[in-house]
Parts: sequence; C-alpha cells; structure tokens
Amino acid sequence: MQRPDWAPETIDVERPSVARMYDYYLGGSHNFAVDRAAAQAMVAAVPEAPLMAQANRAFLRRAVQFLTNAGIRQFLDIGSGIPTVGNVHEIAQRHAPDSRVVYVDVDPVAVAHSREILAGTEGATVVQEDLRHPERILAHPDVRANLDFSQPVAVLVVAVLHFVGDHDRPAEVLRTLRAALAPGSHLVLSQASDDGRSDAERAEAQKVYQRTDSPLWVRSRAELTAFFDGFELVDPGVVWVPQWRPETPDSAEDAERAVFLGGVGRLGG
Amino acid sequence: MRCSWAESGGSVGEPPAGPAPGAFARAWAKALSGTSYLPMTHAQLEALLQRLTDQLAEALRTEPLDLRAGHRVASELVAAHIASAEALGRTVEVIQLRLVRDLDLVADDTADRMARLLAAIATGYARALRDRTLDEQEAIRRATLTARADAERALRASEARFRHQATHDPLTDLPNRTLFAERLAAVLDGSTSGVHRVGLCFLDIDRFKRINDSYGHQIGDRALVAAAHRLSRAVEPHLVARLGGDAFVILVERSTGTGDVLAVAESALAALAEPVLVGGHDCTVTASVGIVERRVADTSPDDLMRAAGSTLHWAKTAGGAGWAMYDAERDEREQARQALSAAIPGGLERGEFYLDYQPLTSLQDGSVLGVEALVRWRHPQLGVLSPDSFIGLAEETGLIVPLGAWVLAEACREAVGWSTATGEPPYVSVNLAVRQLRRPGLVQEVRSLLRRTGLPPNRLQLEITESMMMGGAEEPVRTLRALADLGVRIAIDDFGTGYSNLAYLRDLPVTELKVAGEFVRGLRAPEAADERILASLVSLAHALDLTVTAEGVETVGQAERLRAIGCDAGQGWHFGRPAPADHILARIR
Ligand SMILES: C[S@@+](CC[C@H](N)C(=O)[O-])C[C@H]1O[C@@H](n2cnc3c(N)ncnc32)[C@H](O)[C@@H]1O
Repeated sequence: MQRPDWAPETIDVERPSVARMYDYYLGGSHNFAVDRAAAQAMVAAVPEAPLMAQANRAFLRRAVQFLTNAGIRQFLDIGSGIPTVGNVHEIAQRHAPDSRVVYVDVDPVAVAHSREILAGTEGATVVQEDLRHPERILAHPDVRANLDFSQPVAVLVVAVLHFVGDHDRPAEVLRTLRAALAPGSHLVLSQASDDGRSDAERAEAQKVYQRTDSPLWVRSRAELTAFFDGFELVDPGVVWVPQWRPETPDSAEDAERAVFLGGVGRLGG
Repeated sequence: MRCSWAESGGSVGEPPAGPAPGAFARAWAKALSGTSYLPMTHAQLEALLQRLTDQLAEALRTEPLDLRAGHRVASELVAAHIASAEALGRTVEVIQLRLVRDLDLVADDTADRMARLLAAIATGYARALRDRTLDEQEAIRRATLTARADAERALRASEARFRHQATHDPLTDLPNRTLFAERLAAVLDGSTSGVHRVGLCFLDIDRFKRINDSYGHQIGDRALVAAAHRLSRAVEPHLVARLGGDAFVILVERSTGTGDVLAVAESALAALAEPVLVGGHDCTVTASVGIVERRVADTSPDDLMRAAGSTLHWAKTAGGAGWAMYDAERDEREQARQALSAAIPGGLERGEFYLDYQPLTSLQDGSVLGVEALVRWRHPQLGVLSPDSFIGLAEETGLIVPLGAWVLAEACREAVGWSTATGEPPYVSVNLAVRQLRRPGLVQEVRSLLRRTGLPPNRLQLEITESMMMGGAEEPVRTLRALADLGVRIAIDDFGTGYSNLAYLRDLPVTELKVAGEFVRGLRAPEAADERILASLVSLAHALDLTVTAEGVETVGQAERLRAIGCDAGQGWHFGRPAPADHILARIR
C-alpha cells in the first residue's frame, strides 16, 4: 500500500534539528549529540553564534514586554521552538496573567516537549503546524479556541523566517496572517541577516544548516522591512536586535555582531 | 543608537521590591552578562543577586559557618537559569575578589571561611547543574518518544483512513467490492473462520435508471444513498456492500439454512419498499434479490457470486420486486444451454452443421412434392443434435440469424443439384425464424442466393409460423410479398396451434398451410372432432386457394383419412423419416 500523502513524517533524531541547536546556543540541555555537533560546527564558523541566539531571545523578551505594556493579551508565537527559558507565556503572564499564548512549531519533538511543559498551564497551548501554511494555522481549532481574532493579537515570527525560502513566498505568508488580524494587532519579526558578513562566514553558516532540514535564507534589512508591509513600524524600526529598545545603553554595543535584525509593527486602522 | 528604551510607567521590567542593589551585586550582574541567556531584565538580575549577596554575607558573618548557605545560593542561581560553566567561573571570581572588600567583612579567619564557602558554592552549583542537565536530557528524550508515538498513531490513523477509502464506496460509504471480496474469502476459508454455511443476497434495484432519467443524477444519487442506508440498517449486522450502480450484496455469515438468508432478503426488500421522498420526488423503489445459501466447504467466492448473479437474473426476469432462490438443476440446465449456444458460431465455422430432409408426399399419387430441410449439429462432444436442442437457444441469442442464413444457403445449394427421372424435382422447404424475417436485407439475400445457385424460385419454399404474422406489423408482410414476388413459395407452419385466424391469410401471399401434427394424431377414431375440424380447415384453405399439408402422419390409417378429407399432402414417419438428400432422391428415382 502506498503511503497516503497526509501521513506525518516519522521522527528522525539522526538529523540535527534547528530547534535543539538553538536550545544548545541558549545553554540548554534539550539536545542530542547530532545537534551539539552541528551547533559546535556553527560556533567554529561564527564564534558569536551563541551570543546571537541570546541576543535574539532577549529581543523576544523585550518585545513581549513591550506588547504586554501596549495592552496586548493574545500571542501567536510561530516557530516557538523548545521551551527552554523565558517563554512568551511566562513573560506575558508575569505581568498580565490573563494573557493567552498559542505556540506553533513544525518540529514534532519541539511540540511534544512544549505540550509536556504546558500541561496544566492556563492560557497557553501548542499546535504542530508549518508557517508556510498560514491558512492552516489560522483555521486550526486550537488556535481558534484560544485566540479571538476580533481583538488585537501579536503574531511573533522570531528567528524563523530565515528557514522560509523565497520560493515559499514569505511575504504572502505574512500577508495571509495580516489579513486575519484586527486593528491594534502587532507583528514581531526577527531573522538572520548577512549585512556586514564576510563571504567565508556566509558559506560556512550555509554549510552547517544544509545538514539540517532547514537551510538558511539570510536577508537584508530592506527585505525584512518589506515584510512589515501593511504594518506601522514601532520605533526604532528594523534594527540589529540588541538595538531594539535596550534596557541599558551598553547592552546595545557591538550590535551588528548580533546577526539578527528585528522589529515590531503595529496594524493601524 | 545609544539611548535606553527602559520601560517607563508600567510595571513590566521593573525590579521586584527589595533593597537597591549595592556595588557588589551590580558587579556580579555585570560579570554574568553574556554567560548564557538570562530570561530577565538587568534590573531583575541585580535584584536577585542582591538577595543572594545578603545571604552570603550573612553566612560569612555567622558562627559557625553554615555551608548550606553556599549550596542554597548555588541552586538558586541555577534555578534562575544562571546555569553555565562560565557563570560559575565568573561567580567564584567576583566573590573571591570583591565580596569581602565590598561588604567590609574582614575577620581573622576570612580567607579560610571564604575558601570553604566558595567550595560549597562550587559543589552546590555543579550538583544543581548536573541535575538540571540530566532532567533536560530526560525531558527531550521523553519528548522524542512522545513525538514518535504521536507520529505513529497519526500514521496508523491516516492508514486507517486510507484503508477505509480503499474499501468503501465514496457515495454511500458502504463497504465496496474490495472489502466484500475480502470478507467473503475470509468466511469461505472455513478452516480459519469456523463458519459452516454462508448465504448471499445479490440485490439490484428495479429500473433504477428511471429515477436518474426523470429527476437527474443528483436526485438519483441521493435516492441510492437513502436506499443504501435503509438496506444496511434493515439487515444489520450483516455486511452490505455496494458493487456499483444500483447493485448491492448482503453477506450472511453463519447461516443455518436457506431460511436465514431468505429472512434477510425479505427484510431488505421490505426496507426498500417503504416510500421515499428525495428532493420532493417520489423515489420509492422495488428491488430483485437472488439468494444463494451453501455449505462453506462446497463453494468458492467466484462460484457463489456467479450463482447469486444467475439467481438475481431469474428474479429480474420473473418481473422484479421479489426474490428468487438458487436452484442447482435450473442453473445447470441454463449453463449447459449457455455453453451450447456459445459453441454455435464455432460449429458453423468448422462445418459441424448439416441438413437432413423429410419428404412432403402427395396424398393423391404418392409422389414427393417437396422436402423439408432439417438442420442437424454433429457436436464434437455431444454427438448429433436435433434442432429442438439448439434452435430455441439460437433464437434467444440471435445466433439464429447466421445459422438460418447458412441453412437457407445450404438447402438451395443442395437442391439445385437434385434431379428425378419423373419430371419436376421436389422443392425444398426451409424454416424462417422471426429474426430472419425482421431483418432488412432478407429479400436481397434470397434473391442473390437464387441467382447464385440457379435454383428456380418455385423450388424454394419458406416456412413461417402464424405467430410471426401476428400483431399487424407491416414490415414482415411487405417482406413476404416481395419474397412471393420473386416466385418463392410461402407456407404457414404449425397451423392450428396458435391463433389460427384464417381471415388474415386472405391478405397474405401464402401458398400452403402446414397443419400441426396434433390434429393428425386425433384422427384415430372415425368421426372424431379433430377430423371434422380438419375437414373444414381443408375446405376453407381450398376456398382461399391454398394447398394443405398435414404434418406428423404416422400411420396408413391417418394417411387414408387425410386423403378422404381432401388434404393435399402429408409429412411424417409414415412417408419417410428425415434423411440425407441422396437417400430420398434414390427412393424417388
Ligand atoms: C531558532 S528557533 C526560534 C525559537 C523562538 N522563536 C525564539 O526566537 O527564541 C526556530 C524555530 O522555528 C521552527 N521552524 C522552522 N521552520 C518552521 C516553519 N516553516 N514553520 C514553523 N516553525 C518552523 C524550528 O523548528 C525552531 O523551533
């Protein structure tokens, strides 16, 4: 019997997973030898890779705090990864306990782990879906049950877009998500950029991620800015992530070594 | 950009209430930054470290030194995700370098106490980090197992769905032919199923096409779905499969006899007969069911299905709206007939057919006026077959057309070569089947046959039956006229057994009546009713200018009486049995 096309992939832990590599950069132990080997190869090529991950995660934290202060109580975190430390619902609920978060990831292990972590947690749930099928995410019953799209929602696509190639039409994906949002909703984006990188570093990083299921699609600031089409960029716009509303002035030093560009947009109207 | 976006106004990001961080806590926080991801604001970090600093200071001041304080601080750090080798190194370093100085904690045995405290912190930290690492490794392994189990469950579910689609009819969601065949095969494997008898109801809705034709296929489909659901509900728990179109089959496992299966068939028929409205249209239907019930050991799936199919056909030909029960004898008969009729074309090709002739003898002078051609089949397995065993079949299947054409051609071909010492050779009389008569082109066929063989038209007689002329169809009458115009003789065969309407004979170009043998058999007793009927028949025929031949003449007595009545000719054993042409011709010469 031929395998029907809706059957899921089986779980292959022989291949490094970008979710578990990211956990390793952040200092977590939710990873296997293959993941560590790939992450170490990445560190050999780009020594500040762990710092980049930390800076990105810190950007995510500041962005969520900003959104919580702006009155946002609903979060759709796409490409949420392995909940290590500082998850969106923890940040948001610390200050606004009524916040609701739906995590979405394609990685089945990341989703299974999230599900276990979230068991018994009010207002947070996880869904296995692919950013490249935004209509399926929006139609998912668990998404519908937890988020009210007639009210503002913050969509987080943080450190994920560089896994979505141009052939998968990232701009269209974001447009589809935007169309589902009420005025006052927000979009948080960050992604790896090769602005200011040497060709050698670029090639090395590509090689590492070629081993995973998710090769890297780095983009320029202009490209990332264009993804905010339809949103009003919140100050300071699209910047290296340490520069986005830093808590202390010196934490924004050497910002371009961060590799990640990020920004937050608000849907007007 | 060099400005700070530190939160203003809101509570988010603000340090929890507590003492303002002193110089040591601030230095410690600075030392830790960048060691790993810290899920808190810098202010929160400083506030946390201030609290831990207080605990350490308290420990250093207290006598005796409580090493548990070092363990506690270490595990609090790890619990707050300040959990990296670098963070431990920086922590040891900053405490060693600055704690005593910044907090002004100098005492006699400071160096000693500090060394023991740092050892406790390092031990506690390593222990907590190890536990955390092991926990996280366990968690991710567990997540992998869960994910794998989920994926396999999903795969099984999708396979089940796929299997469902492959084994069910998409319209009615009933099992399809595939599933039915599987179940039947499993049941018939009596060794594993433990089933001894099994039954099938092969069901077909009567004239279902009518619903499609009158209301469209959409209504038709909905009517089918409705029928399917009622059917499966009515015969539960037996398996009902849709074989396609409006044909269904019910599998009765573990039957105890025909009664069981008959009861199922009757419930099915009753359920289908209930009135149904679909889209406001009356879609009430009736159905026919063929029932087969057998010992599992005596049958095979193909066998059962074939038998059920034939039985359904019986139910249909009996008018539908009912069931028929399988009858082995009838089936065998039909199968034999089927086989025989299927062999006719091959037989024709291989020249297995031949003609015998039976004389039509004048009752006046005993001369042979004509001979009737009678077809024989020298069947390779069954021996010589007389027409009764295959003409009916050939008529049903339409094979009578090529067979009849062959007989006609063969009779003409042989007859043209006949000669007699005493003048006119006998004509040859050939039976025409209704299908032959109805086919356009018969006249043309006869004309070219006569031309090709050179047989004079008046030496060919075509025999038709009265029933062929019934119903007032014009076409056959026109054909007969055209044949008569060619000069061919036309006889009505078996006269007296059917409608026997003499009036219509007036309008037909008929030259002869052949009176059925029944009347002749009745001639035994003098002055019998049959004789009087025959006598008036003959005089009527003569009045219409028709000659009369009596069939089935078996005795001298019968021949005498027929002559006395005025009958023109006789045919039957008394005058000669069917035989090859040369035997008969030899007798004439
Ligand atoms: C680098 S992690 C980012 C985690 C988190 N958003 C953060 O910034 O801290 C990227 C995550 O995106 C997920 N991912 C990659 N491609 C994805 C896609 N097409 N749809 C959904 N998730 C995807 C990976 O499985 C991984 O967990």
